[in-house]
Amino acid sequence: MEDHIQNLYEVLSKVEGYVYPNEIELNWSILIVLYPYITGLVAGAFILASLERIFKIRILKPTYGIALLTAFSFMLVATMPLVSHLGKPLRAYEIMITPHSSSAMAIFGFVYLWYLMVVLFLEIWFDYRRDMVIWANESTGIKRFLYKALSLWTTDISPKAVALDDKIGYIVTVIGVPSAFLLHGYVGFIFGSIKANPWWSTVLMPVIFLFSAMVSGIALVMLVYIVLSKIRKQLLDMDCLDTIAKYLFYILLIDFALEGLDQIHRIYVAEESFEALHKLVFGKLFYSLFIFQGLIGTIIPILTLGTLQFYKPKPQIRKVIYMILPLLVLMGIFFMRWNVVIGGQLFSKSFYGYTSFKTSMIGLEGYLMAAVWLIIPFLILAFLLWLLPPWKKIETNHD
Amino acid sequence: MPQHIKRLIGVFAVFILFFLVLQQVLKPDSFGELGHFRAKAIYENSLRPMHYTVADSCTKCHKDIRIDKDLGFHIKLKCEVCHGPALAHSLYAGNFKDKELPDSLTLYKPGERKDCAICHELNAARIKIQFDTLNTTMVHQIDVLTHHPFDPKTKVPFKCIECHNPHQP
Repeated sequence: MEDHIQNLYEVLSKVEGYVYPNEIELNWSILIVLYPYITGLVAGAFILASLERIFKIRILKPTYGIALLTAFSFMLVATMPLVSHLGKPLRAYEIMITPHSSSAMAIFGFVYLWYLMVVLFLEIWFDYRRDMVIWANESTGIKRFLYKALSLWTTDISPKAVALDDKIGYIVTVIGVPSAFLLHGYVGFIFGSIKANPWWSTVLMPVIFLFSAMVSGIALVMLVYIVLSKIRKQLLDMDCLDTIAKYLFYILLIDFALEGLDQIHRIYVAEESFEALHKLVFGKLFYSLFIFQGLIGTIIPILTLGTLQFYKPKPQIRKVIYMILPLLVLMGIFFMRWNVVIGGQLFSKSFYGYTSFKTSMIGLEGYLMAAVWLIIPFLILAFLLWLLPPWKKIETNHD
Repeated sequence: MPQHIKRLIGVFAVFILFFLVLQQVLKPDSFGELGHFRAKAIYENSLRPMHYTVADSCTKCHKDIRIDKDLGFHIKLKCEVCHGPALAHSLYAGNFKDKELPDSLTLYKPGERKDCAICHELNAARIKIQFDTLNTTMVHQIDVLTHHPFDPKTKVPFKCIECHNPHQP
């Protein structure tokens, strides 16, 4: 058989019913699933940190620094799935240097830089400046140089200067909360604003993305805190963990309600796309939507966390629960992104057919590549925790 | 203003300045001349080789086939849909009137069952039409496996074109 006909037969064997030729192959693959996932972790972790700083929830103190550094590590990698998905390293940077306000994609450069430099960098810098000055005097070699450079060779740690740092840090956090909302709301907006796709086009999308971001960010910080305490052989602050679990429960509940509302709205409105989407949800998305995202990632954590609100088992059992739950929640949110990004491309705009998606292991779009972009933030976090250990900081009350 | 704030503002100023310089250096040279894109991209695309010709260029030499085709269901089908890209053929095949065409100018002649099946195989998502209507916007669907698959005497597989003239099926 001729090569091009052989290829056509193979491609068509993946298709059910009638799809337009440009819909057979998915253009947005697993790396585009990672992009909202990682930005969501950033926004969520930052919002948890701001609970301590702005809303004065002092019991969350042990996780404040960890949350900030986690947000920063993941933020540094947030653009990488996009850039590697473009697959053109020699011109991928052009999106960053030719921004245009009419392009929802190109505006990401502004949103990203604002959040990275004005919010995260400044907050961490003002929070750590005094400690970096002190650590610079105490350490030697490369570490001493790093602290000196990071504190911009300043030495002023008078109470007045420290009070000013604290004040500016507070203002930055106040600006940071709406920024975090905008950052992740924006990611939802990219999908929600695509009118042609009935699976994406809903004004609720930014809000759903935001709440799922908070859920995933809080779960990640919880996990990092527990693992870090195990590595450092420190006792876990159970009150702190209980409080994080309480917030995780509330926000997971709101997230679940919002997603339910979105689906109820779809079912009630039942536009012409409804039948196609109905078949998609109960067919190709059944496991990822109902089992992984719904049951394992949402219902089981909600029921467990809900039970913990009025029945508290022994700390030893709670610890195990707090180890497993964030993993389930993180997996659930990953599949939420998967269902949005991949699900939205599996059906044809003709509403008469479906295509398939299979991830390969190797290659630019493979899941090994995706794993790389998920592992690198943890390496950055490990470096940052070595350089700027929150537990060695001088106690400050952010009042 | 405290010293560390001054230095921080300085670092930000340097960063912004560095970005602006970098932007000037890295921005592709024809960017923005015609709009928010690289103007040279249009020229570069125009340099890509063309493969397809206009439909009328086939009928200049193959008038008889055109007449056949216009009387049948395939009236709206362009020649290149079945025969492949034909720009080079339409430009140079005339030079080889009584000689054999070189491979580079020879077009694909579909004749196997699988060739017709690309469009005519049963497809549940396509709208079915009756054979007696002369509706040229829809495609006849045939179950290629059961529709006279082979000669009952010799067991040799039939080709569609043995019964149907592909230009006037």
